[in-house]
Amino acid sequence: MESNAGTLETRSNKTALEREEVAALESLQFTDEIHCLMSAPATDNASSFTALLELPAPQAVQLIHSPDSAKLIAAPAPNVEDFKGGFHFPSNGGLIERAARFSVFAGEGNNKSDSPEATSNNSSANLQKAVKSEPAETDSSQPLISDPTVENRGIKRKDREKVKGQTKKSKTTVKESSDDAEKLPYVHVRARRGQATDSHSLAERARREKINARMKLLQELVPGCNKISGTALVLDEIINHVQSLQRQVEFLSMRLAAVSPRVDFNFDSVFTAE
Amino acid sequence: MDSQHLNPSSLKSRFTARFLRALIKINAQKPISSSSPRDIFQRYQRIKVAADKSMAYSVRSRRTWSRATLWKLRSRSRRRLASSGRRSSIKTRTTTTTTTTTTSTNHRAAIVEKTSHEKENKEDHVGLAVQAEELRELVPGGESMDLCNLLDETAHYIKCLTTQVQVMKKIANLYSLE
Repeated sequence: MESNAGTLETRSNKTALEREEVAALESLQFTDEIHCLMSAPATDNASSFTALLELPAPQAVQLIHSPDSAKLIAAPAPNVEDFKGGFHFPSNGGLIERAARFSVFAGEGNNKSDSPEATSNNSSANLQKAVKSEPAETDSSQPLISDPTVENRGIKRKDREKVKGQTKKSKTTVKESSDDAEKLPYVHVRARRGQATDSHSLAERARREKINARMKLLQELVPGCNKISGTALVLDEIINHVQSLQRQVEFLSMRLAAVSPRVDFNFDSVFTAE
Repeated sequence: MDSQHLNPSSLKSRFTARFLRALIKINAQKPISSSSPRDIFQRYQRIKVAADKSMAYSVRSRRTWSRATLWKLRSRSRRRLASSGRRSSIKTRTTTTTTTTTTSTNHRAAIVEKTSHEKENKEDHVGLAVQAEELRELVPGGESMDLCNLLDETAHYIKCLTTQVQVMKKIANLYSLE
């Protein structure tokens, strides 16, 4: 009876967990490949990555972890590539270290602190790549380089709000800060050319921008949301994800209730396993 | 990959420590060797409550959803005590803790607000009202928030849920290995 319950759980779990496991496997393959590249001696011929770049190994490793070279690496998992493009805005500690489970991104997050210059250049390059509606301006590079310590997510939001063309009014909304540092700093809104500038529409626009910014964050958190366009569908996907997570917690707690530890269980094994 | 997870003050490690302690306590209560389905069900409920509780405690009161979860759990335990006849202790408890009283008033106001909200629909994105309602039901404490904060809370809630699932999966695997 216990085994039946277990198989039932795993079957219903599978659809939800399968995606995660597949993604985890893919990220693992990716890191394996990086390790292979790293461990390959520099004296190899043109087949090795470092030899191709004609660089010593550590610099090549840095390049591997930097986002620009993402194009050079033939990524086996297309999912990872998509995520890479999406993940590099909050390129630093903010979202990735805390939210992302994928080891690739966590690995990249460590390297960022070593080369702030490189990251600012890279992040500006990323912004230029991936900002769809507003083309990158010359102004955008300046705040990036001048504030390397500010989280890139905040910088991205400021740039989004700035518009080419005339600025008639500016309005700053209240700065939000939370201790947990999913920081969404103040939203600097300027009126676009030819748009109404009365306070109501400005407030509405500021609100809409905030909501859109948070939707982007959520899209990055929920796997598979990047390709969906339209807020309603994205919200549906988010709702499904939350429901599936809650169900997973229930199943897991049922599993834990059914399975009993034969021996008294030591903490060390749990902590080292994680 | 291993070195990054040993941060002692991360959400993950805080949750793991609390949850493991609760698990050990639950397992010590009844020997598992010959347990009826009813016992298993009871244990499952306790473990589920322990999981949510330890996650909410790891987040403290920094987030609306964690405060709402803690308040729900506390009110549930209070109701259980009420049914067993200890009413005086409940009255003192509700007056002393200020945070719980504020959240309780928020909740009552929120329940009233929710019914009026459905009719008035003052949201900016009127088309998203349905999904916003669904999200409010899913995220604890989501009834009294506008869409903006709701999305914020949802993001943090998703992050914490994924941590919870990850840790519980690992523990379950360890259990089944032994």
